Amino acid sequence: MKWFATEEAGVKKPSHLLLTLLCSLLAVCCVAVLAGCGGQTAEPAADETATEEPASDVVDIETVSDGKLIVQSDLAYAPMESVPEGKTAEDAEGFEVDLVQAIADKLGLTVEWQQVQFDTIIPAVKQGGTVDLGASSFTITDERLEEIDFSEPYMDSNQAIVMQKSAASSIPGFDVSQDVAGTERLDAVKAALDVEGTKVAVQSGTTGEAWSQENLTKAETVPLADVIQCLTGLQSGLYNAVIADYPVMAYYCQESYTDLEVVAAIPTGEQYGIVVSKDNPGLKQAIDKALAELEEDGTIAQLQEKWFGQAS
Amino acid sequence: MNARETSRVTRLRAAGPGATAKARVKRYALLVCAFALGVIGLLAVVAPTPAQALTVSSTTARPNEDGGDHVIGGLPTRLTWEGRVEAGEELESITLTMPEGGTFEGSSTRVTVLDGLNRQDVAAVATPDGTTLAIVFDEPIPEDSLVRLEVTGVAFPNADGDYVIEGTYENQLGEQVLPSSPAISVIANTPVQGLVNWLDQQPWVEAWNSNPFLSMFFKPQILVSSFAALFPGWLVCLAIVLVAYPFAILFGLCFAFMKMSRFIVVRAIAVTYINILRGTPLFLQIYIAFFGLPMLGIQINVYILGCAVMAINSSAYLAEIFRAGIQSIPVGQYEAAASLGMGHMRTMISIILPQTVRRVLPTVTSDFITSYKDTSLLSSVGVMELMMYAKNMTAITGNITPYMTAAIFYLIVTLPLIKAITVVERRIARSESGQGPRPKGGELTEEDLQLDLAQDALAQAAHAEADEPAALEPAYLPLAREGA
Repeated sequence: MKWFATEEAGVKKPSHLLLTLLCSLLAVCCVAVLAGCGGQTAEPAADETATEEPASDVVDIETVSDGKLIVQSDLAYAPMESVPEGKTAEDAEGFEVDLVQAIADKLGLTVEWQQVQFDTIIPAVKQGGTVDLGASSFTITDERLEEIDFSEPYMDSNQAIVMQKSAASSIPGFDVSQDVAGTERLDAVKAALDVEGTKVAVQSGTTGEAWSQENLTKAETVPLADVIQCLTGLQSGLYNAVIADYPVMAYYCQESYTDLEVVAAIPTGEQYGIVVSKDNPGLKQAIDKALAELEEDGTIAQLQEKWFGQAS
Repeated sequence: MNARETSRVTRLRAAGPGATAKARVKRYALLVCAFALGVIGLLAVVAPTPAQALTVSSTTARPNEDGGDHVIGGLPTRLTWEGRVEAGEELESITLTMPEGGTFEGSSTRVTVLDGLNRQDVAAVATPDGTTLAIVFDEPIPEDSLVRLEVTGVAFPNADGDYVIEGTYENQLGEQVLPSSPAISVIANTPVQGLVNWLDQQPWVEAWNSNPFLSMFFKPQILVSSFAALFPGWLVCLAIVLVAYPFAILFGLCFAFMKMSRFIVVRAIAVTYINILRGTPLFLQIYIAFFGLPMLGIQINVYILGCAVMAINSSAYLAEIFRAGIQSIPVGQYEAAASLGMGHMRTMISIILPQTVRRVLPTVTSDFITSYKDTSLLSSVGVMELMMYAKNMTAITGNITPYMTAAIFYLIVTLPLIKAITVVERRIARSESGQGPRPKGGELTEEDLQLDLAQDALAQAAHAEADEPAALEPAYLPLAREGA
């Protein structure tokens, strides 16, 4: 047995060495390439500004990839932005998708949509190098403004509390005939939800999450990846309520989740904006200009008509 | 824009003076009382609401404890103050006053005026000055509007307590006293936050953070706060896998034997179970269990359900590992056991399984590591485990450091286990090639002697032609003795 063992060791040793060498070489190459990528993204962008002359009245715009506007979104927020069944992010549709397309047309860029988790978008835009815009129904808040820049607001919104129809009717003091936006309804729902053991599903990183944490202190706020998960969980009884943006919740309750309903609206008057990196003021200016033009020529009103059936 | 204007106009017209308005005031007052007493349940000071007065409908502060849900005093937070302009009133300005020790200094204010759900275009100027914040509207706010102030960057007094925001406001009649807000409960600064604040002031931390990579992935402040915040999540991870794994081993063993059964039906059941579970992603199984069962009306605690899914998933892999382990034991061992007059059960329990344990130990440990890491998938269905805490913190901070902390928490468990596997594997390889430790003399119990005898017989029977019969002596015996 011994001779066999020594021979085996004798054969194996050099091959191990070779393998180790190869592996470490590969690892070093990978790191070098990655580091190179990180460095490169900043440089050509800087070159562009220096060499490219502002053509006609188009503002000098830098994007990550020439001629392209890479936009990240969670694309699970109909009718703002969503991917139709069986399609991919390329075929995204919705109010915000059309709006970004209209902006890109004005800027002479083609749009590339990337579907990512909502809460990773702002860090990605802030980090830079991979994405130009975040368009996922972002509410403009001062906290977010510390990290990134927002375009001018393009739409007003509010929050909504969604519950199962059967559960809603058993809330004391709840009356369906009352105005959905009224204080009476909101207070009744709030009192019913703000008790120990209640679970409120929200999308992680949203203003709905913050509202739930602040106002329903006794209830447990459960942050999930997207609102579809929240609504499915609510439907199956995992959660007692879902809190998210009003237009989107109203749409889903009407179109897909017919056993759920918006039990109360939370007037927050928040405004949506498009997320732009602080390092790219040129792009922000260009978008703001395009937005103003789209507001002026009635495109935004048309899109609102198309996706919400009314101009808000 | 036009639609908004008209809706405001109609609203204004609709709100008539007289009896209806008074009834409305009463209703609001009652609701405010009920809300303050019933919902906040703290020391809410409910001032008697006189007619024609601004009512404070809610006041909240955003939790600023990293990864926690408390409002910590002395640290920046966001105050959300909401008031409703009552009938017959026109609001011109508001001055909020923070309790002594708190500050509005350096805050920024977002003013929103709403009529129902419609945002009104109202400009306002906010001037923070120490403990007061003055907000002056460009135009008077009409009755029945909701005024919402989001003040980012305020700090409450750094001491435990329930604090009330007070102040004054001006309407067309002059200056009025603002009703006190519902109380906001605040805790004093925690040691972890203290350490974070200390780090904030260190020059080396600043130098470190000036590198974008280091500050995005390893920001010292977030590293510290996330260690404290993620700890409960880590415990949940450990608890889930430690509860689930014994069951997984038990089920795995059952299905391993079932798969080796003589009866085709039993075999078929085991094969189906194992193949379906091994052939589908764990993520899918979690979704089916977490969204499917509740739809059937079966409500199970998410932690128990999480354990169950992990146990069932692991059991399929373990069944295969155990089956392979058992079948790898040479037939000679069975024959030798039979020659000693052992029955099937006895052979399994005292000869085959102990040897199997030794052989499968590294693979089972690998599977344990996989299971432990896979508990992270439970975060997608709302189980508050490590990954979930990390995700939330990343969402709040916009920084990747909490994920790195989570990685450290996973490694704390996995690295020692990986090391242990390496050691055990080396030992097994040594003992199988005949270099394993020999049993030391010392006291042998009756059972040991019997087993030794059995092994001698086994070794001779199975490897009569081998040069070193002792080579195949199972290592579990010496191991057991070393441990004793």
